[in-house]
Amino acid sequence: MNIRRVSSLSATAFLALVLLGHEATGASSSSGPKLPQLDLTTYSSQVFWLIVSFVVLYFLVAKLAMPRIAEVLEERQERIEDDLDKAETLKKEAYQVRIEYEKALSAAREKAQDATRHAQEEIAKRSAEAESAAQVKVTVMLEEAEKRIAASKTGAEGTSGDPISSLERSVAQEVVANAVQKLIGVDVTAADIDAAIAATLEERPQ
Amino acid sequence: MASPVDQFKLKTLVPFEVGGVDLAYTTSSLWMTITVVAVTLFLTLSMRGGRLVPGRWQSLAELSYEFIANMIRENVGTEGRKYFPFIFTLFMFILMGNLLGMIPYSYTFTSQIVVTFAIAITIFLGVTVIGIVLHGFHFFTLFVPPGMPIVLAPLLIPIEIISYFVRPVSLSVRLFANMMAGHTMMKVFAGFTAALGVLGIAPILLLVALTGFEIMVAVLQAYVFTVLTCLYLNDAIHLH
Repeated sequence: MNIRRVSSLSATAFLALVLLGHEATGASSSSGPKLPQLDLTTYSSQVFWLIVSFVVLYFLVAKLAMPRIAEVLEERQERIEDDLDKAETLKKEAYQVRIEYEKALSAAREKAQDATRHAQEEIAKRSAEAESAAQVKVTVMLEEAEKRIAASKTGAEGTSGDPISSLERSVAQEVVANAVQKLIGVDVTAADIDAAIAATLEERPQ
Repeated sequence: MASPVDQFKLKTLVPFEVGGVDLAYTTSSLWMTITVVAVTLFLTLSMRGGRLVPGRWQSLAELSYEFIANMIRENVGTEGRKYFPFIFTLFMFILMGNLLGMIPYSYTFTSQIVVTFAIAITIFLGVTVIGIVLHGFHFFTLFVPPGMPIVLAPLLIPIEIISYFVRPVSLSVRLFANMMAGHTMMKVFAGFTAALGVLGIAPILLLVALTGFEIMVAVLQAYVFTVLTCLYLNDAIHLH
């Protein structure tokens, strides 16, 4: 209220100043121009044409322009609300889908964990089996190898009673025959060498 | 040199008289007619497409419509809906009149005190009638400020009554004085330009700035006139 009162008072004061100022200039040049707005003879025609124009414009705006604008705005409002509704339902749908997706995802995850666990168990079982089988095989092979070693050991020792093996004997025979041939040019028979070996063995302390 | 206020003189275009009353069609009447045509074309042609996503012209028309719709909703409330067409017409009429007045060699009918006063007194009487019809005798409590100590009544009530009756004067003078002062000032500077020759470039630059300022005043005064009408209407409908 106060602001309005102040503004109305100031406007009135302004009018007074304008009119007084004009009167002052008018007084200084006695035949000076009058403010055309104060020419009362124009008032009747101006008010008349103002009423005519305003009434015509009122009906044009109220009956022609405004319904069209209101219609367009309403249409837009409806469209926006429609779209918002649609968006709302879509959002709900998307939420539902997401929940389902998450459910499916967790189920799949569980399944995958199960499968992994099964596979690990299977692997453990199989590797244990394979290990024990290999263990058995190795044991058998070890035993066989030991047997073979033992056998070859007894084989190398030759027949019982003979202090040297047949291999040692044949190597000795050959080495001796060659050496004698090279040294003294005499061929010695196997029987001679045997005799010599026997003699050596007897002399050698047991 | 012509006086800066010569621009407000009216030229009679078509003499017309009824029963001794001069109703001549003058330059002022011509620009009122142009305003009516311009507002109507602006509000209808721009909405012809009625597109969902508005173009520039359609946006302007919708903006004007919603501007006034919001103004009434905020200042008067839902009861103001009834007066929307009148207030919208009022705003568009004054706005277009002010803006068309900025065209060189046109005529600004809002620079005529009789025009602005005729509009203002119509609003004043209309608003008073609305208030009395709605509230009856109770309407006169409008002159009693709420929460006023009874001792101050002899002082405040006359002030309220005077301020109420000054409304049509202040409303009309504000618009008229703004329009007249602006146009006079522009004419004065234009006169300087003509008188100064080459040095006239300085007042021309000022004139350019002034033109922009006057366009702002044209819009602002149309707004002020309309918003005050809304406030008066609100007082009549809601009292305090």
